[in-house]
Amino acid sequence: MHKILIKYTKVDRMKFISHLELIRVIERALRRADIPLRFSQGFNPHPKISFASPLSVGVSSEGEYMTVEVNEKIDLGRFKDRLNSELPEGIKFIKCKYIDSKSKSLMSLVEYGTYIVKCNTKREYKKNEIEKILTNFLNRNEILFKKRGKRNKVKIINIKKLIKNMSVLSVEKKDIIFRITLSTGSRGNLKPDIVIEKLAENTELAIDLQKIRVHRLETFFFENKKGLVPLEKIN
Amino acid sequence: MNEKIEEILYKVEKPSRYIGGEINSYKKEIMENTIRFGFAFPDIYEVGMSHLGMHIIYNLLNQIDDVYCERIFSPWIDLEEILRKENVPLFTLETQSPIDQMDFIGFTLQYELSYSNILNILDLGNIPLKSSDRNSSHPIIIAGGPCAYNPEPLAEIIDVFVLGESEEVLMEIMDVYRNVKTEDLSRQEFLEKISEIQGVYIPSFYEVEYNDDNTIKNFKPKQDRYPIKIKKRIIKELDDIFYPEKVIVPYTDVVHDRAMIEIFRGCTRGCRFCQAGMIYRPIRERKSEKALELADKLLKSTGYEEISISSLSTSDYSQLNELVRSLIDNYLSKKIGVSVPSLRLDSFSIKLIEEIQKVRKTGLTFAPEAGTQRLRDVINKGITEKDLTEATANAFELGWNSVKLYFMIGLPTETYKDLDGIADLGYKVVDIYYDTPKEKRGKGLNVTISTSSFVPKPFTPFQWEPQDTTETLVEKQNYLKDKLRHRNIIYNYHDSKTSFLEAVFARGDRKLSDVLIKAWEMGCKFDGWQEHFRYETWIKAFDECGIDPSFYANRKRKYDEILPWDHIDIGVTKKYLINENEKSKEGKLTQDCRSQCTGCGINSGFIGGVC
Repeated sequence: MHKILIKYTKVDRMKFISHLELIRVIERALRRADIPLRFSQGFNPHPKISFASPLSVGVSSEGEYMTVEVNEKIDLGRFKDRLNSELPEGIKFIKCKYIDSKSKSLMSLVEYGTYIVKCNTKREYKKNEIEKILTNFLNRNEILFKKRGKRNKVKIINIKKLIKNMSVLSVEKKDIIFRITLSTGSRGNLKPDIVIEKLAENTELAIDLQKIRVHRLETFFFENKKGLVPLEKIN
Repeated sequence: MNEKIEEILYKVEKPSRYIGGEINSYKKEIMENTIRFGFAFPDIYEVGMSHLGMHIIYNLLNQIDDVYCERIFSPWIDLEEILRKENVPLFTLETQSPIDQMDFIGFTLQYELSYSNILNILDLGNIPLKSSDRNSSHPIIIAGGPCAYNPEPLAEIIDVFVLGESEEVLMEIMDVYRNVKTEDLSRQEFLEKISEIQGVYIPSFYEVEYNDDNTIKNFKPKQDRYPIKIKKRIIKELDDIFYPEKVIVPYTDVVHDRAMIEIFRGCTRGCRFCQAGMIYRPIRERKSEKALELADKLLKSTGYEEISISSLSTSDYSQLNELVRSLIDNYLSKKIGVSVPSLRLDSFSIKLIEEIQKVRKTGLTFAPEAGTQRLRDVINKGITEKDLTEATANAFELGWNSVKLYFMIGLPTETYKDLDGIADLGYKVVDIYYDTPKEKRGKGLNVTISTSSFVPKPFTPFQWEPQDTTETLVEKQNYLKDKLRHRNIIYNYHDSKTSFLEAVFARGDRKLSDVLIKAWEMGCKFDGWQEHFRYETWIKAFDECGIDPSFYANRKRKYDEILPWDHIDIGVTKKYLINENEKSKEGKLTQDCRSQCTGCGINSGFIGGVC
């Protein structure tokens, strides 16, 4: 058994397909490309594919990861080209490599994601004005968020510790672009639009919440010595 | 992507059904001479994309260099609301063009309850609803599919109907339309010209007179040159006709999300309630080698994990065993599922299913249609109680524990004895299960009994028969509900009001165009969706138009009455249908016409000689 780690993009119209739809799109592309897939056992065998961290519908990304298990070692250059010709426009494999077939699942490795978030404000602000607001916001001890869990149970969580990093990238008239690094994955997950919502709620920054556009740049795991490491460095 | 549409898609549920660009969809350059054809399915994407006919026509048209076929579906309620609020016209999936930029919009008429969605689509595209209100700046509205065999309720809305199998006739229409593109023909001249093509019906070329009792007095062409009878089209040789080797693979989970191979058209059984069994005659098979070749190409081009064969009655396919065995041999090892629907459950079929579902035993489905042998003979459903009990006994021994039984209520001559028969059959199946040795049968029995309400359809031996009133149908459903209270039995039934509206439009005439428009104006759409069906609004629309819907649904016709669809020729003669109706009253069976010709007429006018 061999495991291929794939870094791919999900952009343009493909940002509108859900994670479940993405799984089907990938499975069928792999079948069309006639890849020697490994299947799960049981009543309803499925190819062994797993993903790092699902994206919400509407979010684009240039730093997505998945692994595919195959029965025989195949040439990765050909694999990548073949798949790219079988995938719909907007999904593209950019890096493929073999990793240890016993490596932990991506899902359990992911710790952080970096995002670019575009929003519109209701009036014009200067960059330093926004930066000041942001610093004050990030200096709070707690930023509380009502999370709706299973069976509609409401849980209040402090999202402060889930925000690793947040800065203003650019401001042009009423358009602001933030760069945010957030906890992503099973040990803590925060969606960028929630951060923006909280920012708007807790400060005087008037943001149009209907028009938050999110793009993921990269997904990371964490190493004590190195800190945030892109998933592509997994061995 | 169009920016405005992209913005809108952020706000709707399941945007993936509106984005296009799926694998095997067509991307073409649009030039001056490109004939743009919008194939419209008047329901949502998930329903429309499951329809094999759409895939055939889409690929057929796109094979032609100067034709570009794009897809149009009904937007779901949330998208419609935004489109209307922001004044954005409904768009095609391929190029996101406003639909009024098409040369043609072709609707497929699969069920009567989708008619209000046709109006909604036209309106969302800023296209006038009535044919007479449109001009050469608008697309030509064309329609086909099973409901087109009684085109009259849509006569004021649709410009051109195509009757029968449209693979060839559409090409012929495109050939004539090229002259419109080069401005050598006007729209009117185009319509005149295509009215000469067999299978083309242009309702505005005909006029109707009515009697005082609202029946039809006279139906005739406005000019002598228009055909008095419009003959359907059929494809003579299935192996020679176009069949797509690749089909669009949707992103989202559609109703039938698998590769489909059509193995034959037509059916020889002659069930007297069944419209498909009459209109799709004669029977024509695709050879199993050809079917296998297509299956292979389709699976390679789509990456689908399941292949299904499609026909009206799978068990009647002469090479079924060969075909299914080859499919299993070729694909099971590749983890590609094989599904074989519409099997008649004899011992052979059970064995076949057993092989396909080696591990997972999904439910088995039987369709006795009626509860007693008497009534099954009336409808010419050649199935006996023994067939059913043997097949279920067999299935339970092989480990099945879930059985579905389909029946119709409200069939001609039905009495409460026949309803008792439905319940009896249900309980017999339960008994058979408990008689099966415990170690063999699966754990926990589920018997689902579903009844639909009989809707008399044009071109069937029952086309003259009344439908039960909704009150009667509800009484019958309640009766069965009481009789079928048992922990292993689930009883489902169709909403009788929905069946009533279906019956009205199935045998409706031209007067219904106005009712349809009225009902749509009052907000009716998605009538086939229970949560959107507004019966009271429909009744109000009938009232306001001064039309009694029960005239269409609940009235018994005489044989000499001119029926609204009499000018359509499906090849099966009226004489044959009358004869079948008479035989039904005596409970006389008519044999499967594979064994001996029953003289329906299809082989005299249409194919010459034998079927």
